[in-house]
Amino acid sequence: MIGRVRRPLAACLLAIGVVLAAACSPPGDEQAGGGESTGPIKIAIANAQSGQLSSLGAWELKGAKLAFDEWNQKGGVNGRKVEIGVFDDQGDPTVGTNVARKIASEGYVAMIGTAESAVTIAMAPILQQAAIPNITSGQSPGLIAVKSPFLFLNGPTSLTYDETLAKYLVEQRGIKTIALITNNGSYGKGEHDSFTKALQSRGLTPVADQVVTTDQKDFSAALTNIRQKKPQLIFLGAEEVQSGLIVKQARDLGITVPFAGAAPQGTPVFLDTAGAANVEGTIVSTPYLSNDVSEASKTFAAAYKTATGEEAELHGAKAYDGAQILLTALKNSNGATGKDLADAIRAVKHKGLLGDFAYDETGVGIFATSIGTITSGKLVPAAG
Amino acid sequence: MRYRLGGVALLAILAWVLPYQLNSYTMHVVNVMLLYAILSVGLGLCMGVAGQINLAQVAFFGVGAYATAVLTVKEGWGFWAAAATAVLATAAVGLVVGTPALRVQSHYLGIVTLGLALAFTNWVTNSSLAGGAEGVAGIPRPALPGVDLSSDYLFYYLELVLFALTLAFGLFVVHTSLGRRMRAMRDDSLAAGAVGVEVPTLRMTAFLLASVYGGVAGVLYAGLIGYVAPETFSIANMFLLLAMVIIGGRQSLVGCVVGAIALALVREVLIDYPTYAQVAYGSVVVLTVVFAPTGLAGLPRRLHGVGARLGLRRAGADTAGALTTFQPYQPADPATGGPILEVRDLSMHFRGVKALRDVSIEVPAGQIRGIVGPNGSGKTTLFNVVSGLYRPTAGRVRLDGRDVTAARPFALAHAGIARTFQNLRLFPALTVRDNVLVALDPTRARSTWRYLLAPVGVWRRDRALRREADALLHRFGLTAFAGGLPTALPYGIQRRVEIARAMAARPRLLLLDEPAAGLNGDEVRQLCDIVRSIREHGVTVVVIEHNMGMVMSLCDHVTVLAHGAIIADGPPDVVAISPEVIEAYLGESMAMPAPVATEVQR
Amino acid sequence: MQVFLQTFIGGMSLGAIYALVALGFSLVYRTMGLVNFAHGSVVMIGAYIASTFYLSVKLPFAAAMAVAIAVTGLIGIIIERVLRPLENKDFDLMLIGTIGFGIVLEALAIVIWGATGRAVRSPVPAAPLDLGGIRIRTYDLLVLAIAATATVLLVFFLQRTKRGAAMQAVAMDHQAATAVGIHVGRSNAMAFMIGAGLAALAGGLVGPLLYVSPAMGGSLGIKGFAGAILGGFGSIPGAIVGGLGIGIIDSFAAGQFQGYSELVTFLIFTVIIMIRPTGIFGERTVNRA
Repeated sequence: MIGRVRRPLAACLLAIGVVLAAACSPPGDEQAGGGESTGPIKIAIANAQSGQLSSLGAWELKGAKLAFDEWNQKGGVNGRKVEIGVFDDQGDPTVGTNVARKIASEGYVAMIGTAESAVTIAMAPILQQAAIPNITSGQSPGLIAVKSPFLFLNGPTSLTYDETLAKYLVEQRGIKTIALITNNGSYGKGEHDSFTKALQSRGLTPVADQVVTTDQKDFSAALTNIRQKKPQLIFLGAEEVQSGLIVKQARDLGITVPFAGAAPQGTPVFLDTAGAANVEGTIVSTPYLSNDVSEASKTFAAAYKTATGEEAELHGAKAYDGAQILLTALKNSNGATGKDLADAIRAVKHKGLLGDFAYDETGVGIFATSIGTITSGKLVPAAG
Repeated sequence: MRYRLGGVALLAILAWVLPYQLNSYTMHVVNVMLLYAILSVGLGLCMGVAGQINLAQVAFFGVGAYATAVLTVKEGWGFWAAAATAVLATAAVGLVVGTPALRVQSHYLGIVTLGLALAFTNWVTNSSLAGGAEGVAGIPRPALPGVDLSSDYLFYYLELVLFALTLAFGLFVVHTSLGRRMRAMRDDSLAAGAVGVEVPTLRMTAFLLASVYGGVAGVLYAGLIGYVAPETFSIANMFLLLAMVIIGGRQSLVGCVVGAIALALVREVLIDYPTYAQVAYGSVVVLTVVFAPTGLAGLPRRLHGVGARLGLRRAGADTAGALTTFQPYQPADPATGGPILEVRDLSMHFRGVKALRDVSIEVPAGQIRGIVGPNGSGKTTLFNVVSGLYRPTAGRVRLDGRDVTAARPFALAHAGIARTFQNLRLFPALTVRDNVLVALDPTRARSTWRYLLAPVGVWRRDRALRREADALLHRFGLTAFAGGLPTALPYGIQRRVEIARAMAARPRLLLLDEPAAGLNGDEVRQLCDIVRSIREHGVTVVVIEHNMGMVMSLCDHVTVLAHGAIIADGPPDVVAISPEVIEAYLGESMAMPAPVATEVQR
Repeated sequence: MQVFLQTFIGGMSLGAIYALVALGFSLVYRTMGLVNFAHGSVVMIGAYIASTFYLSVKLPFAAAMAVAIAVTGLIGIIIERVLRPLENKDFDLMLIGTIGFGIVLEALAIVIWGATGRAVRSPVPAAPLDLGGIRIRTYDLLVLAIAATATVLLVFFLQRTKRGAAMQAVAMDHQAATAVGIHVGRSNAMAFMIGAGLAALAGGLVGPLLYVSPAMGGSLGIKGFAGAILGGFGSIPGAIVGGLGIGIIDSFAAGQFQGYSELVTFLIFTVIIMIRPTGIFGERTVNRA
């Protein structure tokens, strides 16, 4: 038995030895191609194109694509066309890391996306290592904690949203008893922490602080607890659908006080899920109140409607701004890549749909939001 | 054997040179694929080999990854120290998750493990220690002196080596004592207990193994990706893992690996169409379970079967040889002393049905005792209580004067009770030799540590056991069937295999439940010879039998049960003419004594 | 006290849905020994069909439900036909086979209706009842009433009709039922159809209560299955009590432990199953040696 085994074993060892000798240099030394100074500029758009968060991804894609198409029609960036590649991260950070590596290995010079902070955080180290600048639509303070010089936000962080909101609520409206209901996802947790901090700086603590899970659909227990505390206002830190369900169920439980929140509470999905009557009076902190606040937004909304047949909204606008900033930086730096491109983005001063962008060291370019209220089913600027 | 080794060598070389052919993204994909392969092997060991439904494998994966992440990032440990601790932590979690397996099985175990896996993702999503929904970022790549593991290419070799080691260890387990006992437990946990397999401990061992594999994969994941978040350990990924194992063929570890690689590849190819990928792999899963339940691993055998049917291969290779005669045991000194089995005032009630009522029996050592009675008179219930399957409502059982009432079946097997079953309970997916080996194997679960510390000893011991098993099979005239599956054998031969298996455990007391059922006259005569020789060898035999001719000629003493109580007890010729007995049997309108077997139990 | 009662009521209304799901699981299991993990996805399909006919085709809610039950029943027959080889087989195969079916159904729902889901407005516009500060949605009462009616009808069917009696017989002993001339295949298809119909009922009712999305099948299926096991798998009263039980445990866990509710619910469930593996109404099955 042993004798019979020995010969193939020896052959095997020998073969491995030969291979080892032949392969003295470790594999993987070849460099990913990219950064040629002629030909099209390759830009990746990564977002959830499938799964529960895919509506967010679809909006982002439409907004960003609009900007790229506009530039390409005008002849591209200094004569070079922009070529976009769409990647689906499925809203899953692990898939995100795969996508990041794919983007790095296929010679893309920059990335737009994602809308999920957790996915973006997962991708950041890989993109940083590959020196690929990334303009994300996430807004979690966790994005800044990554401290990547290649990571930029196309909007304000939760801190800005909630600071503006808290200032308005407490200082202008004089509301003192506020209840919180947030989910334990990355968005909800960011909102929870930012808003609590903003309240604390005004010497307030929430009268109720309820946390729900991201896939929870029945909130009677949490809302009953809140009802006991009789708040003047309830702060919502959850995505569109879940926020809508919370509002709907709160009204059923006889809670009549208004709700307040950030970007998701300004969307049509939130309104449709909760029912228009239920969300009346909701106070929203958002950098993009509506499609007709300025000339620029009207033009954008019209173009968006022509291209996609849908009404424009915040996420599309954010992605559009992000793409504009990237393209401006590419133009200014004459098609630079890597660190030079990141520096060029940091240097861009852009008048966008959301406001005036000027990036600081942390990768945040805008620090203001506006307050709106939902009045007869539409988000309008708050009085005062 | 030689072809197989050559194949392994070829695969090893291919795996070694693979990175030279890949770009960095594909390399990454392959690295992730290897992780799934390790996970699948762990799941295959637990589900396919040990038969323990485990829907928490993805949580084990998560515990390993999270423990590494938290220890390195938040506590500042070195990677390898964190890795070792993480694997230990996962093993501990595996034992906790496995605990319900001691009480529940099958779909109950499925939902409990699934629930615990959900509980894990829920916990990491909330816990600030685990970074909440944003997870933990910035896990350092492990470092090895002289090797730059920060390159995905070199990390591949680390994974490859660990994968090869874990697969080899898994295969080693499957093909030696531990795996054999696990497979026996999977096929029939009742019969496994009756031949001395410590079922509860082995169930825990199965979960322990699965969790260690999950932990190793988790550590590698943390090192490879550098980031952990709850979504990665979701139920959807658990189902994906399950699909890998089933499509590959859960009872073969190599099949599990093939399944993992195949499905990961399909997913990668369809990465831009995840919904259609979902339709595709869902359909493949359904088709696999309906048309090829043994998975990819079972295909060669099925093709072989088709080939044989088409006459492409020469038939008869499998059916060569026949039953040879039994070679009697060496007679031992006749046993003396007190009764070996003593049953006192035993009662067994099932929700109001009194299957046994105050039954007392004393069997002296060295006797062949017959237990007869009409159907439903409580004979098999008596055996089930004595062999520990049922806990009696009242009464005591003593073995050699020692109280063994309600002891676990495996403990009774170790104490010297062996039995056969009325409806034959051979392990259908184990070969005849393995069936006997399970009973022959004196290895206790507590010496499982040898697998880690003294694998060579385990190997040697196993080979010695194999020789012993072959000797036993030779004695029972079963050598020709040693390598075949018992289910393919004629009924009479299966009966003999079961007796051989019972005798392999070297019992002092052998309980035979209707051993002659379904046998022809010649086979019954051979059976009688075997039983007598077993008795000559010093083993006490208690036999339940309907074949009165056999009872009259074989037994020294006969006990008659009716409606759960003893109605007669004495030498066969005295009992046969007892009016109570005749009445009991006539009540069933059954003439006695019957010359041949009167019924075939299936 | 008020919080307690309000939480309890929230648990009851969701529990009624879990009970209907559990009923489907148990009915199919007792008749043909099949644990159908695709059941949750069938619930989801039922919810989509009901909401489509209610919202898009603008049928009355009851009519939309009837359509959903009919279509889903048909899907049930198809699933039964495909999975028939698995009946009374190895549990692993059943588990993965039915999960595979569920995965396909979920993906098909994404293809047909999109990944994001939809809200369904309540068919009962009446304001919630207010009993001393405890609010009860009128729709909740409707859900409870329908669930109770469905259970009564099912029990009546099983015990008083010939078809039902045949199904009971098959549940008790396959071979004996065949021997007395019961068409086991037809009886199984019937059980699957009723199971799927119950799923559509649960799905249709849960739409206005929560939200309809392709992912809803997963959590409803798992909680419903847990309910069936908790009550005693295969038992009709067990499914009702178990489903309500899971709903109430869930609701209180959410109130007390907030984000950790899922963890707590499943730990409690595991402990109960460890203490009483056969569930509340389950019977100890005797191993025939």
